[in-house]
Amino acid sequence: MAELLRTEGLGRSFGGVRALDGVDVEIAEGEVHALCGENGAGKSTLIRILCGALAPSEGRVLWRGAPLPEGVHRREAAGIAAIHQEPVSFPDLDAVDNVFLGWEPRRGPLLDRSAMLRRTREALRELGEDLPLGRPVGELPMAQRQMVALARALVRDCRLLILDEPTAALSSRETEALFAVTRRMRERGVSVLYVSHRLDEVFALADRITVLRDGRRVDTVPAAATDRAGLIRKMVGRDVPATPDSVRGTEGSPVLRVDGLSLPGSLQGVSLEVRSGEVVGLAGLVGAGRTELLEAIYGLRRCHGGVLVGGRPVRPGSVRSALAAGVALVPEDRHRQGLIPCWPVAWNVSMASLGAVSRLGWISPGAERERAEAMARLLQIKCAGVDAPASSLSGGNQQKVVLAKGLCLSPRLLLLDEPTRGVDVGAKHEVHQLVRRLAAEGAAVLASSSDMPELLALCDRIVALRGGRISGELRRGEFSEPALLSLILPEEGAA
Amino acid sequence: MRLRGVPGPALVLALLCALATAINPVFLSPRNLTDMLLAAAPTLIAACGLMLVIASGEIDISIGSLMGLCAAVAGTLSSPDRLGLPPSVAVAATLALGLGVGLFNGVLVSLVRVPSIIVTLGMLSVLKGANELLMSGKWITRLPDGLRVWGTGSLLGVPVPIAVCGAVVALAWILANRTAWGRRVFAVGSNADSARLAGISVERTKLAAFGLAGLLVAVATLVSVPRLSVVDSGVGVGFELLVVTCVVVGGVSIRGGTGTILGVVIGVLLLSSVRTVLIFLQLGESSLYWERAIQGALILAAVMGDAAGRRKEARA
Amino acid sequence: MRRLLATHEACLAALLAALVLAAWQADPAFVSGRVQAGLLPQIGETALLAVPMTLIVITGGIDLSVGSAMALASVLFGLGFRSGWPVEACVAVALAAGLLCGALNGWFVTRFRVHPLIVTLGTMSAFRGLAEGISAARPVSGFPETFLGIGQGWAAIGLFVALCAAGSAVLARHALGRQIYGIGLGEAAARASGWNVDRLKASLYAFSGLTAGVAGVLFTARRNTAKADVGAGLELEVVTAVVLGGTSIFGGRGTLIGTALGLAVLHEVRQFVGWRWSNDVLNLVVVGALLIGAVTLNGVISRRPAGSVEGG
Repeated sequence: MAELLRTEGLGRSFGGVRALDGVDVEIAEGEVHALCGENGAGKSTLIRILCGALAPSEGRVLWRGAPLPEGVHRREAAGIAAIHQEPVSFPDLDAVDNVFLGWEPRRGPLLDRSAMLRRTREALRELGEDLPLGRPVGELPMAQRQMVALARALVRDCRLLILDEPTAALSSRETEALFAVTRRMRERGVSVLYVSHRLDEVFALADRITVLRDGRRVDTVPAAATDRAGLIRKMVGRDVPATPDSVRGTEGSPVLRVDGLSLPGSLQGVSLEVRSGEVVGLAGLVGAGRTELLEAIYGLRRCHGGVLVGGRPVRPGSVRSALAAGVALVPEDRHRQGLIPCWPVAWNVSMASLGAVSRLGWISPGAERERAEAMARLLQIKCAGVDAPASSLSGGNQQKVVLAKGLCLSPRLLLLDEPTRGVDVGAKHEVHQLVRRLAAEGAAVLASSSDMPELLALCDRIVALRGGRISGELRRGEFSEPALLSLILPEEGAA
Repeated sequence: MRLRGVPGPALVLALLCALATAINPVFLSPRNLTDMLLAAAPTLIAACGLMLVIASGEIDISIGSLMGLCAAVAGTLSSPDRLGLPPSVAVAATLALGLGVGLFNGVLVSLVRVPSIIVTLGMLSVLKGANELLMSGKWITRLPDGLRVWGTGSLLGVPVPIAVCGAVVALAWILANRTAWGRRVFAVGSNADSARLAGISVERTKLAAFGLAGLLVAVATLVSVPRLSVVDSGVGVGFELLVVTCVVVGGVSIRGGTGTILGVVIGVLLLSSVRTVLIFLQLGESSLYWERAIQGALILAAVMGDAAGRRKEARA
Repeated sequence: MRRLLATHEACLAALLAALVLAAWQADPAFVSGRVQAGLLPQIGETALLAVPMTLIVITGGIDLSVGSAMALASVLFGLGFRSGWPVEACVAVALAAGLLCGALNGWFVTRFRVHPLIVTLGTMSAFRGLAEGISAARPVSGFPETFLGIGQGWAAIGLFVALCAAGSAVLARHALGRQIYGIGLGEAAARASGWNVDRLKASLYAFSGLTAGVAGVLFTARRNTAKADVGAGLELEVVTAVVLGGTSIFGGRGTLIGTALGLAVLHEVRQFVGWRWSNDVLNLVVVGALLIGAVTLNGVISRRPAGSVEGG
C-alpha cells in the first residue's frame, strides 16, 4: 500500500517534560492504523501535532512525501481531520453550520444553503445517524456531537481520519455504528488513525498497531501478528498486574459513607463506603459520573442524599462544610480548579487553609512560607523556592502542590480526581507512594481515574460507575482489566 | 428556524398590545401603528447592527454619542444657518462618520485587544465631547428639504424611515443567516478559539461587525433627526441603553453566539409598546421618567429569563 | 529597587510629576497651593467611589450603576428633607438606599451568574429612572448650614484616604484581600478552595452601593441641591481612574495606591483643561481618551513576562 503520512524524528517537550521523543510513524493509504499506549505515553501529543494544533519541538511530518502546511485549517484542507474525545465545535450553532464553518459553499455572495443541507444530510445518512439539523449542537448529546464532527470530516473529503478515544462516551449501539463507519472509510481508501485504550476494538478494526511508551515508539506490528497479552506487554514494558510495593495497613472504621446520592442528570442512588487506611478506586467511562460524585461529596455540587464523613453529615453544596469535616479534593482540572498558576507556590498551598497561617484574617507571610517549605520537603516538590510561580513547575510538581494544599488540612478523607493526568512517569510513581503512605497513616482515599493500570496497582478496592450508577465492585483478589472493563462498559443493547 | 429566547418576549409583546388596546382602542388604528413604527424605526436599524456586535461576543455602548455627533455633523453641514452644503454631501459625510467611528472601535477591540466595554465607554465620552464642541451650545432649526425628506418623505406611500428600516432588517437577516460572514460572527461569539482553528479571522470578523454597527447608527440618525424641529447636542442621549435593552430583551445573549433578527424586532416593538402604554395611561410628564426605570427593569427581567433558560440546558 | 521603579505605580507617579511640571510651565498660578486645595473637593465623590470599584474590578466585575445609585440617594435625601424629617434621618435613608442598590446588584450577579456588565447596565437605568420618577425631576435645596458644612470641607477626601489606607492593608495582607485577587485570577480554584465567593462578591457590590449613598449625601451637601441627574457619567470617571491606576479590567491585578495615583492624574488633567480653556466639554474628550489610552498601554505592558510576584 502506498505511504500516506510519515513522521520523522518527531519530538515535543512541555517545560521539563519530554512528551514525545524521536517518533517515526508511518501510515499507509486505506489502512486502519491503531495507536496504543498507556496514559501519558504521548498519544494525544502526537495527535495534536498531526492535525496541526501543536507544533513539534523537533522533527517533521510528511504527507505523501511532502511537508505539510501548519495550522488545523490548512491541514483540514489537505485532508487530515481529527475527531477528539470532546469534539471541538460551536455549541450555539446548528449541525449544518458546524459542518461547513470556515469553508462555506457559496452561490454568488450568499451561502449555498441548499447544498449545505443536502451534503450534511448525505454525510449523516452515510454515518447512519439521524439528528435534528436545526438545533444548536451544544444541546445534543456527546455521541451526536461526535457524529457532527465526523460529518464535517466526511464532507471535507478527508484522506486521514484521526479518531481519538471515540467510543469513550458511546453506547454499544453507537460504537457499532462507529465501527461500520470506520470500515466504510477504509473501503473508500481513507486511512484511519484509531487511538484507543480498548484493546478489543483495536483488534476488531486495525490492520496495524503502533505502540507508544513514555513518548517513544516501541513497535509497529500487523494486528494479526500479536495478541492482547503481547500488546499489553509492549505498552507496559512488563507483565501486569503489577504487585503493590508497599505494605498495606489495616483498615479502620468507615470515614466516608454515601447513602443514595443523586444528582439530576449525572448520578442516581449511589451508595458507597470508604474506611480509614483504605484506598478505594473509582472507575468508569467518560461521562459515567466520577467527577460529579467527587464534586458532590466535596460540596461543589448540590446533591440529594446523605454524605457522612466521620459520622457527621456534610451539608450539600457547601465546600466549607466538607472542609470542616476533614475532606480534601485534588480536582481533575489542575489549571482551572486546583491552582492559580501565576501565584507563588506558597500562596497556592495555603489557599484552602488561610486560617491556619493568619490571625483574625491577617496573614503572616513567614508562617505561610514555613509551612509551604515543610510541605515541599514532605512531598519532594521540585521548584525554585516556594516563592516561584506555580506555572513554572512541571505537571507532576504542580499536582504535588495541589496535593499539598489539601494535606494542609490534615484531611481524614482525600478525594483524588485523575491524580496523575499529565504527570510524567517518575512523578507518577512518587504520587502513588504518597497516597499509599497517607492511607497507611490513617486517611481514607477515594481516587477516580481513567487509567486502569493505575487503579489496579494503587487501590485496595475498585468501585465501578456506569451511567451514573454503581455497577459493581472488585476487591484486590479479583482485580483484572477485563473484569473491570466489563463493569464500566455499557451493557449489551444499552441505549 | 432557530427561535431560542423569542417566545417569552413575543408573549409579553402580545400581552402589552392587548393591554394597550384595552386602555384605548386607538392603539390598533393604522395612524397609531404607523406612528409607533416611525418612532421605532431608528432603534430597530441601530439594533440590527448592535445585535451582530453582541453576537460576536463584544459590546458597543457608544452608539448614543455617535448618533448625537452624526446629527450634529449632518445638521452643521447641511443647514442654511451653518455651512449650507448640499444634502447629499451631508448624507455622505454622516455615513462615512458612522462607518469610520465603528471601524475605529473595531480596530481597538480586535487588533489592539482593548476590551470593548472600555473602548466604547471611552468613545462614549469622546464622541459626546466632540458633539458638544461642534454644536457649541447652539441649536440648529433649519434643515434643507433634501435632508428632511429622509425623515418625513414617502416612498410609494410608505414613510421613508419605515421603508429604510424594512430594507435594513431584511438585509441584516440575509447577512446573519445567508452569508458566510454572518455565520462566522456567531461562530466567533460561540467559540473564538475553534473559529480561529477553523481558519476564520476573528479580528476581521469583529472589525466588520463594529463597522457595520457604526454605519447603521448613521443611517438611523438620518431617518430620525430630520423629523426633529430642533437639533441640539442632546440628540441620542440614552439611545445606547434603549438599543441594548431591546437587543437583550429580544433574546440576544450577552455572552455571544446567539440571537435572531426576529428576536430583535420583537424586542424593539416591545419597548415601543411600553412607551405607548405609558403615554396612554396619561401619566403626563412623569411617564417619561418611569420609562427609564422600566427599561432597566426589563434588562434585569431578561437577565433572569436567560439564566433560567441556561439552567434548563444540560450541565456540561 | 529596580523592580519598584518599574511598577505601574511608579510610572504613574512620574506621569503626575511631569503633568504638574507642564502645568506650572504653562500657567504658574494653577499650581499654587491655594488653587489646588480649592479644586480638590471636586474629585471627592469620584475618589470615594473608586475604592469599592477597584475591589470589584479586581474580582473581575464592574459596577456601572454607581452614578445612578448616588442620584437615588440624593433624591431620597431631598424627599425626606422636604417632608420635614430631621437631617440625620434623611442621611440614614440615603445611605440605606445606596446599600439596597448595591445589595440588589450583588444579588443579581451572584444568584443568576450573569455578567456584572449587563446587570449594572440595567440597574444603572433602573436606579436613575426611579430617581427621576420619584423626584419628578424637581431639585430640592435649602438645606441647613450645619449640613452643608460637611460638603465644603474635606470630608470626602478624608474618608477616601482612610478607606484607601484600610483597603490597601486588607489587599496586601488580609485573607479577604487574598481572596479578592484570587477570585479575579481563578474563580473556579477559589470555589474549590472553600472560599465563599458569592458572599464576598455580593458584599463588595453592597459596599459600592453604600459608598454611592455616602457620595450622594456629600454631593448634596457640597452643591446644596438634591436632584436626579446627580452623578451622570460619573461611572466613566471612576472606571477611568481605576484603570489608569493599573487595575486590569480582566481582574486579578490592581492596587488602591494605583487608583489614588490614577485619580490624581485624572483630576490634574481635567482641572487644568478646565482652568486653561474654561470649557467643560473638553473634559469629556480628555477623560474618554485617557481611558482608552490607559487600557491600551496597560495591555501592552502586561504582555511582559510576569516573572515577579506581584501583590496584585
